[in-house]
Amino acid sequence: MNNIALKELLYKIADDQLILGHRNSEWTGMGPLLEEDIAFSSMAQDKVGQSLAMYTLLHSLGEGDPDTVAFTRRGNQFHNCVLVELPNGEYDFSLVRHFLFNTAEVIRFELLSTSSYEPLAQLAKKIRGELRYHTLHANTWIRQLGSSTEESIARIQASLNFSLPFAMGIFEASPHENELIESGVFAGEKALKQRWLAKVEEIIHQTDLHLPDLNTVEPVPGGRVGKHSEHLQPLLDEMSEVFRIDPTAEW
Amino acid sequence: MNSLDPRVNRLSTNTYPVPNEPTAPLDQFGTFEVFVQPKGDKPFQHEGIVHAPNLEMAYVLAKEAFTRRFVCVSLYVVDTANVAASPITEGDVNIYQRIEDRSDQPGEKLSYEIYHLTRRGKQHVHAGTVQAVNAQDAMVKAKHQFNSGKGICSVWVIQTKNIRFTLPEEKDLWNTLPEKKFRDASAYKGGDKLSVFLQSKQKSSDHSGHSDNADQ
Amino acid sequence: MYGGGNTFEGVKTDSVAQEDQVKLGEFEGRIARGEKIEPSDWMPQLYRKQLIRMIEQHAHSEIIGALPEGTWITRAPGFKRKMALMAKVQDEVGHAQLLYSAAETLGKPREQMIDDLITGKSKYSNVFNYPTFTWGDCCFISWLVDAGAIVNQLANAKGSYGPYCRALERICAEESFHLKYGHHCVIYLATGSSIQREMFQDAINRWWPPMMHFFGPADMISTHTPVLMKWKVKMGTNDDMRNQFLDMYVPKIWELGFTLPDPNLAKNSKTGRWDYTEPDWEEFKRVISGDGPCNKERLEVRRIAEERGRWVRKALKSPQAAYVPPLA
Repeated sequence: MNNIALKELLYKIADDQLILGHRNSEWTGMGPLLEEDIAFSSMAQDKVGQSLAMYTLLHSLGEGDPDTVAFTRRGNQFHNCVLVELPNGEYDFSLVRHFLFNTAEVIRFELLSTSSYEPLAQLAKKIRGELRYHTLHANTWIRQLGSSTEESIARIQASLNFSLPFAMGIFEASPHENELIESGVFAGEKALKQRWLAKVEEIIHQTDLHLPDLNTVEPVPGGRVGKHSEHLQPLLDEMSEVFRIDPTAEW
Repeated sequence: MNSLDPRVNRLSTNTYPVPNEPTAPLDQFGTFEVFVQPKGDKPFQHEGIVHAPNLEMAYVLAKEAFTRRFVCVSLYVVDTANVAASPITEGDVNIYQRIEDRSDQPGEKLSYEIYHLTRRGKQHVHAGTVQAVNAQDAMVKAKHQFNSGKGICSVWVIQTKNIRFTLPEEKDLWNTLPEKKFRDASAYKGGDKLSVFLQSKQKSSDHSGHSDNADQ
Repeated sequence: MYGGGNTFEGVKTDSVAQEDQVKLGEFEGRIARGEKIEPSDWMPQLYRKQLIRMIEQHAHSEIIGALPEGTWITRAPGFKRKMALMAKVQDEVGHAQLLYSAAETLGKPREQMIDDLITGKSKYSNVFNYPTFTWGDCCFISWLVDAGAIVNQLANAKGSYGPYCRALERICAEESFHLKYGHHCVIYLATGSSIQREMFQDAINRWWPPMMHFFGPADMISTHTPVLMKWKVKMGTNDDMRNQFLDMYVPKIWELGFTLPDPNLAKNSKTGRWDYTEPDWEEFKRVISGDGPCNKERLEVRRIAEERGRWVRKALKSPQAAYVPPLA
């Protein structure tokens, strides 16, 4: 098994989870409804917790400890997709991002549950229940907001149109795709994207929303190779603000 | 706004003018009663309410509002308007004494869930299921089937079909709950660090011959 | 998190004499026997009114209290602190939800309560009108302001109104991790580098006066409402609660090597109570009436949050026949 390929896979998953969890945690105390505030925050905690599990796996493979890896790397060393680093905007964007990302994440972990890399397969099985909730939440909100008032349909549609190019960046191929597929570690981004598309279509068709022809959508790649938007570095600076006061300190 | 909170400063780039329209009634939605099962062999128990636009959303929201912290295995919700509640009694009086026996009512038998409150201040707990033609009839049936004779000060009746239950495939929603130690007091034991610190303080004050405590 | 039993407004007791005295007698008998009052019971107007105010303001304190700590979630140092703070602040929002629900059983709809908060009609715990400049400030709130709230909450959990007691039981269970987490953070600052120790000492110096205000005005300048004590709505005097807090936490602060910015603070062995410089109650009045460093910002953030969510709630609202208060 090629450790470089495996680590690259783990890093991009972990970075996605950490950055999205961090973004979603920004809503805590400021959500559109108290109960939804609570629910969104839970899912943000799940994501950060999942990233910690992934960084812990990486640590066991020789990478730095999770705190160091998460709180001291520069933006161009992160491998998250650009979608997750974008600012929260209004709740329509945050919900649409949650829906698009989660749909991919669930399928990714389904594929990983039969990974030849045992720790990853175990983790995937373990978090199935958490991801089930995220799916129930995302799908319920998109279905309901996507079918109610003119205003909510228009807002969700606009966010969907805006987000799709960035969402395609989730599936940016790794230079190690073939090794990952051949070694049975992961079935690959292409397989993931195909299944993702089918699932997204299925949910959108249950609403009054319209899914653009994805052949006309120009993907925004770069995140996987450290090419990020102008939003990531400020996010990381904020995240590490206290940590950097003394990186060797115990907080 | 120039705030210390970076989130608030990001907000300030948009404007959110004070609207002309007042808040509409039920802006915060109507309420749904939430019932939680603490362990597989225990009955469901009432825990509180969520505000939600509909039954399905109530289930989604209740899951985190009421089952995110302490170990539990299942959940269900029902619209508050669909709960038929008996009056509540005084002291030791059993509510079933106040419920008159009636002969079997005609009509289609439907399924109803029955809940008992055994003491003021506690929560209603699921007692069982009856077949009845309406809520009144269900209370009478419950009197025959579930009256333990001991203090039951209030009864709730809910028609089964109005409840959004947890589906079998949703049982794993609570799988990782026991592992979320970061929300347990036990994960924050500072005692050892504190002891080491206090001992070293004691040592240094012994050496220097005076207390370096600012309090004495 | 809250300044328990206080509602920051005067209490008018004239309506009590006009109540049905037989029913009142039964009601008071129930409370004296230790039985809880439930939503469908007969209750005097003053009881209902005072409880709505008290529980509502407790709820407002939770949702506003989520802001000064919430601002540090994105900056928490390390995974352990990050996840803990996310969970803790989420709990505060959860507590607001539980408390609004309890107040609603008395007949006031939640949107009315939220409106009253935003328009400034309803108050909340004054301590949250101060800014959190550093991580040290955040830890002060997590440990000591929470500790103060717990003193109040434990007392109020023995009160007479069923829904409020049930909410408080749940809240106290969730708070146990908050208190340990807060103390844990401060222990690490105290035993860390000099920068960390100074950060927390600096936070103490700024937060101690608001903390001394936390339990409300001194007994000698407060109006006493014996009927609220009889009805187990107010469970202890402000000074009682304040002394309990000082008893439990001043020694813990001192043992970590920190100082408190009050040279007169000491336990009086004769009275068994704490001596301290009398807090500035004029300052307290000024801040609670709107003239504190963060009052405007707190309410503006709350207003904006509700405003941003308006389209969401509007989109999913269905026309409904009538408002149904929650049952328990």
